Formats: sequence, structure tokens, C-alpha cells
Amino acid sequence: MKEKSILHVPLLSPAWKKVAFIFFPLPVILVIGMAFSRMDISPDDSAQIIYGFWAIGFGLLNLSREKEEDEMIKSFRLQAFQTGFYWLIWGLGALMLINYLRYDRITSEIFTAYLVLFLLNAYVYAAFQYQKYMASKD
Amino acid sequence: MKNTIKVERARNNMTQQDLAERVNVSRQTINSIEAGKYVPSTVLSLKIAKVFLVPLEELFELEEGD
Repeated sequence: MKEKSILHVPLLSPAWKKVAFIFFPLPVILVIGMAFSRMDISPDDSAQIIYGFWAIGFGLLNLSREKEEDEMIKSFRLQAFQTGFYWLIWGLGALMLINYLRYDRITSEIFTAYLVLFLLNAYVYAAFQYQKYMASKD
Repeated sequence: MKNTIKVERARNNMTQQDLAERVNVSRQTINSIEAGKYVPSTVLSLKIAKVFLVPLEELFELEEGD
């Protein structure tokens, strides 16, 4: 695929991975800080803040270039996205089923864009790392 | 798919790193191809064959089930 194509995804410099890791403890500290400063925040809102930050963290990790970005890594990225999406669908299905069995309804307040983005990015990252691990294992 | 990259590498006295640098991929990719964990693209296969100066079908061979 030509680099100028509209389908081309420009990747971030590997240094962004360090930035991404800041997004994991940051919301936890933020939520604890908000609780201590007695800001009126519901547990659902706290969860959404955490999911949102973690989604950004995993998103940055998924969009950062590897040290050597060759065709094998590109094929891993493609497979990771497909696998991640597949597990997202099953995961959301399982959550809906649990919700239905417990509360007699399919939908729940926890099903937000932040949760879905967090789960998708986390699954994609896990699938990508798994493939890299399997390739490096002798 | 089977391949004889390891044999050709030994014949040409090359390390995985040497071959990786010649064809612009990581050493890990060459290792995965040799171990049969990754099937290279046509472009990469042709580049590897060009390095060893052998025809593609001499380097790669289909296995049962491919």
C-alpha cells in the first residue's frame, strides 16, 4: 500500500509508549484525589474516568511504532485488531448475559463508549504482545 | 511451507542478522521464517531468493495441507 493512500495509518514514535504508561496510574490517582477532596463523584463516573484514561493509554501503545516495523509486525497488527474485535464482541455478549441474569435487562449503565474503547484497545494490545511473544519463543 | 533459508545461510556463511539487514527486516522475522512460524510475502521471498541467487522454488516448498 502506498504511504500516501488514505488507508495508510501513520504510527507514532516509540517514545510515545512511555507517555502511554502514564495514563494507567493517572486516573486512579485522580479518582483517589477527587474522593479525598470530597468532590461529589459517583462510582460510575469514577469508573468511566478510569476506562477513558486506560483506553487512551492502550490506544497510544497500539498506535506506537515498534523498533523495527517490518512486514511481520504489520501482519501481527492486522491479526491483533481482528482478534481484539472478536473478543470484544464475545466479552460484551458475556457482560450482557450476566446483566440479564442478574438484573433482568440486557443494557446497563456500564456499557459506555469508554468501556468499549478500553476493552477493544486492551484486547488488541494483548493479542499483539502474544504474537510477538510466540514469535520470539524458541 | 518448508524453506531452506537456514541451509542457504550456512552455505553463504551469513548470520540471521546479516540476512535481516540485506532484506530490511528484523532478525526476529528471519528467525520466525526459518522456524516456519511466519510465511513471508512474495516481495520478501523474492528479496531473500535474490540474496542467495537461487530460484524461489528452490528456497520454498509447499507442504501437505498448504
